[in-house]
Amino acid sequence: MKYQVLFIAVLLVMAALIAGCTQQAASQQTTPASQGIIKVGVIVSQTGPASNVGNNMWQSAQVAADKINADGGVTLKDGSKAQIKLIVGDDESTQAGGQKAAIKLITDDKVDILVGGYSSAVTSAYQQTIAEYKVPYIVTGASSPIITHRTDIDTSYIFHHCPTTDTYGQYTTTFIDQIIRPAIAKKYGFAADRPLRLALLYQDTAFGKGVQTAVNNTITNNKLNIQLVSQQSFKMGESDFRTPLTAIKAANPDAVYIAAFPNEGAPIITQARRDIGLNTIFLNVENNDNSQFYKDLGQYGEGAIIESRFSPYTAPVGAVADAQNAFKQAYFIRFNTYPDMMGASTYEGVFIAAKAIGNAGTTDKATVRLALVNLKMPHVIEAMKDQTISFSPDFRESTFDLWMEQLSFNQTLGETRPTIVWPDNLKTTDFTLPSWYTAGSA
Amino acid sequence: MDNIGIFLQIMFWGLYAGCIYILLATGLNLIFGVMKIVNFAHGEFLMIGAYITATVFLLTGINPYVILLLSMLVLIGIGAVVERLCFRPILGTGKLNEIFLSIGLIYIFQNGAAMIWGDAWQSVKSPYDGITIPVGSLNVPIDYIIIIGFTAAILIALFLFLKKTRIGMEMRATSQNRKGAKLVGINVERIDVISFGIGCALAAAAGTLWVVSGQVFNPYMGSIPAVKAFAIIILGGLGSIPGAIIGGLLLGIAENSAAFYLGGVWKDAVSFIILIIVLVVRPTGLFGEKGE
Repeated sequence: MKYQVLFIAVLLVMAALIAGCTQQAASQQTTPASQGIIKVGVIVSQTGPASNVGNNMWQSAQVAADKINADGGVTLKDGSKAQIKLIVGDDESTQAGGQKAAIKLITDDKVDILVGGYSSAVTSAYQQTIAEYKVPYIVTGASSPIITHRTDIDTSYIFHHCPTTDTYGQYTTTFIDQIIRPAIAKKYGFAADRPLRLALLYQDTAFGKGVQTAVNNTITNNKLNIQLVSQQSFKMGESDFRTPLTAIKAANPDAVYIAAFPNEGAPIITQARRDIGLNTIFLNVENNDNSQFYKDLGQYGEGAIIESRFSPYTAPVGAVADAQNAFKQAYFIRFNTYPDMMGASTYEGVFIAAKAIGNAGTTDKATVRLALVNLKMPHVIEAMKDQTISFSPDFRESTFDLWMEQLSFNQTLGETRPTIVWPDNLKTTDFTLPSWYTAGSA
Repeated sequence: MDNIGIFLQIMFWGLYAGCIYILLATGLNLIFGVMKIVNFAHGEFLMIGAYITATVFLLTGINPYVILLLSMLVLIGIGAVVERLCFRPILGTGKLNEIFLSIGLIYIFQNGAAMIWGDAWQSVKSPYDGITIPVGSLNVPIDYIIIIGFTAAILIALFLFLKKTRIGMEMRATSQNRKGAKLVGINVERIDVISFGIGCALAAAAGTLWVVSGQVFNPYMGSIPAVKAFAIIILGGLGSIPGAIIGGLLLGIAENSAAFYLGGVWKDAVSFIILIIVLVVRPTGLFGEKGE
């Protein structure tokens, strides 16, 4: 009997605590910035399959916060200055981990704004929490359009600061049609109307399927002379790709478009060229512009293509080059390595958060959301359309100037290095087919 | 490539994947056979073996196939310590304790490895990287031939050890009847330590072969292979070494065939579909005996 009473008492205390938490969540919506601190929650994958990119994102956020704070912090409406305080949430590269991280940052740490999110599958799992607590969230990595296009929950507090799979899938497919197809036709003397034989190897997630959809739609809608000869998928975190690559080789493609994370993309190309003998052009999504990717690829990366907007090892000629180099230097001094493309987005995400709160003059979440809706700020380190960071009125997406890089092997370094080959206004060299390249056949 | 060539290629990748599974599952089965414990942290020994090989290789440049022996020896030591400090105190206290202990060990090993080596994905290149030899209609990288050869050699050595040596016979006796083994004077606690150590060494060999095949690795790499190793030993029959070998091969080939004919997302699912079918038709597994 005594234990039953004790058990009921414990249950009651737990119920009271849960109720308290819920009330606290509702009341914190209007909590102003206090003690001159703006709390920015950064959701990244510090552990699990995406940890390499996740840690790069977290470290880039720290470099951004250091710079903002060193420059005096953020000016609020009352004229007072506030410093940025970053709080990291590890999504563990899993949906459950993402949910835990979001809840902890919002309810325990009481952050004013959120930045980050890498895997679209993970990020979409805690969007309901963002909608419920109405915390402004600048997503800097998860590129599936569902992040802001979905209609089953309220996404009005989510702002997408990275190109979607629709955008870069279309961009890459256009590059294949305009640059790779003519280069192959020229080298092999193919008829002008011969379609390019393209294979797809994609991660079986919202991200990978998003790329697959974008490629298919671009070919169909624009009536491109590209034939999809094989479409293979794999599970997130897979490390053995030999079988799907064997299937792709059997389809005799002219090029292979890979939608994968860096820890998958590098083994795919290595296994394709080393084990399968697939001597073709591999096109990669922008998240692979990562120093570990270059290191893991070694000589097998020769000739590969990456769609990008920030690279650890190159920069486009123009306004953002100096800013990019300054960021890379600051990052290198602190972490003895170079930031990657997802790190660059997250770096900018912290600047956008600071600017929005500065424009709002308060940390009131609804006001900050409005400031993000109306935001127009000069680009920071990435090349933006019209050199301005702003979010579209429909799905709150920013618009980037993208480019394509081709990798060439540096014998001294034992790694490949990129050069920009497209578009014409940004390129430093032309796309070339490697000497070992073999075209596909019907 | 013609259809037969493609089929042979898929079988070959299945054979390679099967080698890793066989070594991991055989070690797990050896430990289960002797001690009757469920160790979900077995995949972490594969991970540690992979890191030891990669670290020694990168520091010294010694051929990684030579480091395999060192990696196995180190894991025998680590396995003995884990058995003595963690599993022996809870032996016979219930499966739930074993399960929670091994889950705890997963976190300890993963985080420990992340602290020592960092949690970024890594890969190393074999000294034979890029060298291929013709096998029938296939042109196969030589590393995969060596991996298959090493797996066969390790399994033959294990077979001879269990059949011909006194300790091997004592291990088999303990596996068959622990109380009976005690009654005839076998020091079963000593046999437990040796079995656990050898089981971990086999996992280390799997980790080393994983690394030299050029696959990426990080501190969390062991979880999925461990789950598959459990599926294999249930499929082959709990405690049965031949069952682990056949089960490992079957799984490797089935996974790669499914990935080719059904798509990559079926790769993991097919192993459990086979497992369910085998358990429904033959609940003791392919080579298991009643009472296991």
